[in-house]
Amino acid sequence: MTNLPDWLTDGRNSATLAAMLDPSSSSSLESLAIESRALTLRRFGRTMTLYAPLYLSNYCSSGCAYCGFASDRKTPRRRLEPDDIRRELTAMKKLGITDILLLTGERTHNADFDYLLRSVDIAAQEMQRVSVEAFPMSIREYRALADSGCTAITIYQETYNRERYEALHRWGPKKDFIERLETPARALEGGIKTAGLGVLLGLSDPGEDALSLYRHVRYLGRTYWRAGLSVSFPRMRPQTGGYEPPFPVDDHSLARIIFAFRIALPDVELVLSTRESAAYRDGMAGLGITRMSIESRTTVGGYHDPENNGKGQFDVFDDRSAHEFCNAMRAKNIEPVFKNWDPAYNGPADVNNTILHPVKPQPCL
Amino acid sequence: MDYLQLGSYTFSSRLILGTGKFSNATVMLEAVRASGAQLVTVALRRFNREQLADDLFSPLRALPGITLMPNTSGASTAAEAVRAAQIARELSGSPFIKVEIHPNPQHLMPDPIETFEACRILAKEGFLVMPYIAADPVLAKRLEEVGCTSVMPLGSAIGSGQGLATAEMLNIIIRESNIPVIVDAGLRSPSEAALAMEMGCGAVLVNSAIAVSDNPPAMAGAFAGAVDAGRKAFKAGLMPKSSFAIATSPLTAFLGAKV
Amino acid sequence: MITLELNGKQQIVPPGSAVTDLLSIIGSVDNNVAVVINDRIIRPDKRSTHQLQEGDRVEILIFAGGG
Repeated sequence: MTNLPDWLTDGRNSATLAAMLDPSSSSSLESLAIESRALTLRRFGRTMTLYAPLYLSNYCSSGCAYCGFASDRKTPRRRLEPDDIRRELTAMKKLGITDILLLTGERTHNADFDYLLRSVDIAAQEMQRVSVEAFPMSIREYRALADSGCTAITIYQETYNRERYEALHRWGPKKDFIERLETPARALEGGIKTAGLGVLLGLSDPGEDALSLYRHVRYLGRTYWRAGLSVSFPRMRPQTGGYEPPFPVDDHSLARIIFAFRIALPDVELVLSTRESAAYRDGMAGLGITRMSIESRTTVGGYHDPENNGKGQFDVFDDRSAHEFCNAMRAKNIEPVFKNWDPAYNGPADVNNTILHPVKPQPCL
Repeated sequence: MDYLQLGSYTFSSRLILGTGKFSNATVMLEAVRASGAQLVTVALRRFNREQLADDLFSPLRALPGITLMPNTSGASTAAEAVRAAQIARELSGSPFIKVEIHPNPQHLMPDPIETFEACRILAKEGFLVMPYIAADPVLAKRLEEVGCTSVMPLGSAIGSGQGLATAEMLNIIIRESNIPVIVDAGLRSPSEAALAMEMGCGAVLVNSAIAVSDNPPAMAGAFAGAVDAGRKAFKAGLMPKSSFAIATSPLTAFLGAKV
Repeated sequence: MITLELNGKQQIVPPGSAVTDLLSIIGSVDNNVAVVINDRIIRPDKRSTHQLQEGDRVEILIFAGGG
């Protein structure tokens, strides 16, 4: 059994975060909110970056106990073919979306790396920014994704508690805890510009997971110092699998985690999806969250033909249209930002690029 | 124990001393002794028979527990700095080199481009490279990337005594660095040295503040105490500062009552 | 006699002088110096045998005070 890396277990730099996360701490939730809001305003201004997810396929080879798409579930499986993808993208663009997240399950024969790469290629022609949330890949695969126009990847560790992780990921490639842990580093090594991290709140002790997640972000930030980093806060909700989260996180606890992260990581993008209700998202906008998904369909496709097709990976709680959502943001004096990137900035980060001419010193010895 | 790790060397003292501007070598050696410093920086200069006392090599070596860190002051280009480093290593036997390239003799600000090139070469040649730089967080990471053992950002201009004018940048450098950050230049008082250590610096380098004091050995001792205090405070964990006022209507009202 | 450039100034030494002879002439009695001739470092173990040539650029360097 490979040892856990030092950066994950070393608690010396996460004491401040730990103090904020402690519900019995002297910092009231309101005081954390005030500080979080002030930092968010200063660094990010009055904006909310928007994106939408596109599920390319729900084929999966893994057996995650908590997921509606686990390979032993009866969910009908499908994947989008190139024409399907183009139709979905057209529908999404009509909603104003320019920044998309492509999703697949764990690596399968039906939705393998080549399929993903082709899909990224298609999406990059239509969208301003393409991110991917799929399966752990090799450095070479990430470089190929980056070359095709993918600028960010999201990969949740789900839980940083190894015992819980191995119990929950019952079979399939996702069972490998260390491989998943090392994934964001491989992506950044391969030239992906931004790595999105997160834990699925509810699977394990949230305080412990939050600390580990923070350490992961700090480790990546110090090592891949040119990289962008973002943190999401997916909270287990009722979903198609019927899995009951053993460590449910209530609204106050989630808010505390988000505020603490903003204070501890003032420059990192914090993301909240449509798993959360409209009221919750509106409340958190401006207090710490800087990026949100909108118009989400968590079924395969679903934008082109909304009357569609089976159960999603999770139930969408905030099902407002982009228009309604934007109105809500503006009512809070927050500008919804659909385009925060241009493909002109794409291309892998070349860490060895230097314009300096090497100096040849006089030999002395 | 809380050691400063530089390459394969471990030091218990986090105060590094410069040897310039002292009225004479005897006072300088007294100050080094009083400071408890284990790493001392020296410059390479031409031998001058009229000033044999300028030579610090023997007297410094006679002090117990001292490791020399030659510096490249006088160099204005990477090539000159590399050459000086090679000569210095040959003479001292020490792998440490403080890369100090300041082409402008007025403000003595370090040249980042020549410094980077020199460090790139010297790191490959096996030196323990300690670059003196402006408090530039990106330059610090690039130097770390090419194999420097530490980075030495300035607190303020050499000899200016303006203290930690670059504090905000230093904070970023310290947060993001995987190697020790050693504040060098501009520290005027022991309290500033303590503050630098409280911020999380690995060590501080002090020269002018001690050398030009009326009583350099006493001042050196004071700096030693301050560095020790600051480091202990950092390790113990300082109370977080909070700078925000209370809003008039609660921001968290939308969450409702806690369940 | 041969003429050298020593630390930027002219210095004459008898022909056939080795580095150690030069060091005696200039009053460097211990070996706390670095010797660089025409950009090449001359180590202590070579100083008694390395012969100086007309026009050599010699630098004799010490460690002195400096931050």
